[in-house]
Amino acid sequence: MSLPVLKVNGLAMRFGTSEVFKNVSFSVTRGETLGLFGRSGSGKTTIGRCIVGLEKPTGGEILVRGVDILKMEKKEFRKLRPKIQMIFQHPETSLDPRMKAFENLIEPLKLHSGLKRDALMKRGEELAELTGLRPEHLARYPGHLSGGEIQRVVLARIMALSPDFIVADEPTSMLDVSVQAQILRLMQKLQRETGVSYLLISHDLEVLKNVCHRIAYLENGTITSIETINRGIKI
Amino acid sequence: MSLLEVKDLSVEFPSGENTVKAVSHVSFEIREGETFGIIGESGSGKSVIGLSLLRLLPANAKVSGRVFFQGQDLLSLKPSELRKIRGKKISLMPQNPAGALNPVLKNGLQIEEVFEGNRDEKKEGMKKALELMKQLFLRDPEKLCTLYPHQLSGGMRQRLTACISLSFEPEILVADEPTKGLDPEAKAGAVDVFTKIKTEYKKTMLLITHDLDLAFEVCDRIAVMYAGEIVELDQASKVLSTPLHPYTKGLIQAHPRNGLVPLSGQSPSRIKLPEGCLFHERCRYSDVECSIKHPEIKYYNGGLIRCHFLSLK
Repeated sequence: MSLPVLKVNGLAMRFGTSEVFKNVSFSVTRGETLGLFGRSGSGKTTIGRCIVGLEKPTGGEILVRGVDILKMEKKEFRKLRPKIQMIFQHPETSLDPRMKAFENLIEPLKLHSGLKRDALMKRGEELAELTGLRPEHLARYPGHLSGGEIQRVVLARIMALSPDFIVADEPTSMLDVSVQAQILRLMQKLQRETGVSYLLISHDLEVLKNVCHRIAYLENGTITSIETINRGIKI
Repeated sequence: MSLLEVKDLSVEFPSGENTVKAVSHVSFEIREGETFGIIGESGSGKSVIGLSLLRLLPANAKVSGRVFFQGQDLLSLKPSELRKIRGKKISLMPQNPAGALNPVLKNGLQIEEVFEGNRDEKKEGMKKALELMKQLFLRDPEKLCTLYPHQLSGGMRQRLTACISLSFEPEILVADEPTKGLDPEAKAGAVDVFTKIKTEYKKTMLLITHDLDLAFEVCDRIAVMYAGEIVELDQASKVLSTPLHPYTKGLIQAHPRNGLVPLSGQSPSRIKLPEGCLFHERCRYSDVECSIKHPEIKYYNGGLIRCHFLSLK
């Protein structure tokens, strides 16, 4: 069995006196999609935000490549951060509205890759092709793109940094049924090509059963079971 | 008997030097007591139709065609006459209930706001609204009136906007994407709400949605839109269980329950529409004729379909 890319042990979160979740444990291996299913308000999104460092849990550990990110120095974590990415629920708020789609797409490359302009543009075009974006999409501002097109830009932007792990928080809940299928299949294609792992957060069990290798059920603030789905092809 | 009749409705938006064709030559009728659904993917022109019925589109929209309601053409009414219909006879339940409610006003005040007249009339209106809230599965409506919209869940906000839309007992309720972004529990609740509005209140509804489950449960007839055109129109059960148009087939196969099979390609640009059938580039049944000749909508097997598809010949 391959080593987990991510291992979460006994994660707990408390806001004031209210306990959102406790003793949440799971692991994700390379090329695997783990679904996280729960009702609205069950703490699914908060778990995802803890993994990418946007929230600080009140207990437990999050091991990435065997190192607890909660005990890491800020500087150290920043180096690791490009490898752990997140897709947010509301596509329209994921991009900078003042930058055209292509500028949004290459922004992470500008910050992290150190590529020269020509190489940067070439890599940007490759990423656009990988995610099925057409040149006319790239020349538009996010406000002039549909929800599905924005999620493609978001995916291209995330793949620019060759992440090991992506937290996808309800990536298709605001999209209609045909675009939802396109985006989820695209995510699967990217997984086959790059070996990226996903934590797919959703309240739609049918979606999870179609694309996940395993599904963790979050009920009453804890994970009650993890089910293995046969449909997924693991690499 | 038809309560609302849309005839040859087209909507265009100027965009720089170009024109975006949002809706092209759409015709349908909504019969009294019927729930008529419009389904299709984002950007197919569904919401534009809903908004154009009440002339709520931006000022730059070019609207042509006719919309008959009780013998009057809504598109040529004077603004003062239209105001007597808007909200009172035809009510709109807008997309995104969170955005439709004022975040700085308590819910009670937002409901009260819609009633005109003196204090007694407002009080009477509120009494009716509270009763309606109970009927639409909102527990403890008095307490709910003292809260702000952000203190309600998505499903509750959606029911609250339904109450506001129904408080004038309109003859037609236009509901625009009422289940968008709701979790499965709230979606199931929405099905109950719309079933109740339909069966107990006997309301005529225009339901604009991409939620195929909601459409199947609630609608009597359905029009399927693609790139601003109606491509199929028939009984809801027929459209959703034995679809004829290749686009409708693709839409149903993309549902997670049916295997999440995506439709290949993307909707055409609405500035420069392709020659022939607007769907031919994505259609697995398309042949030469499809790329040359734009199909007219035709009667077939009790419904309407816009396709050169071989089975129709």
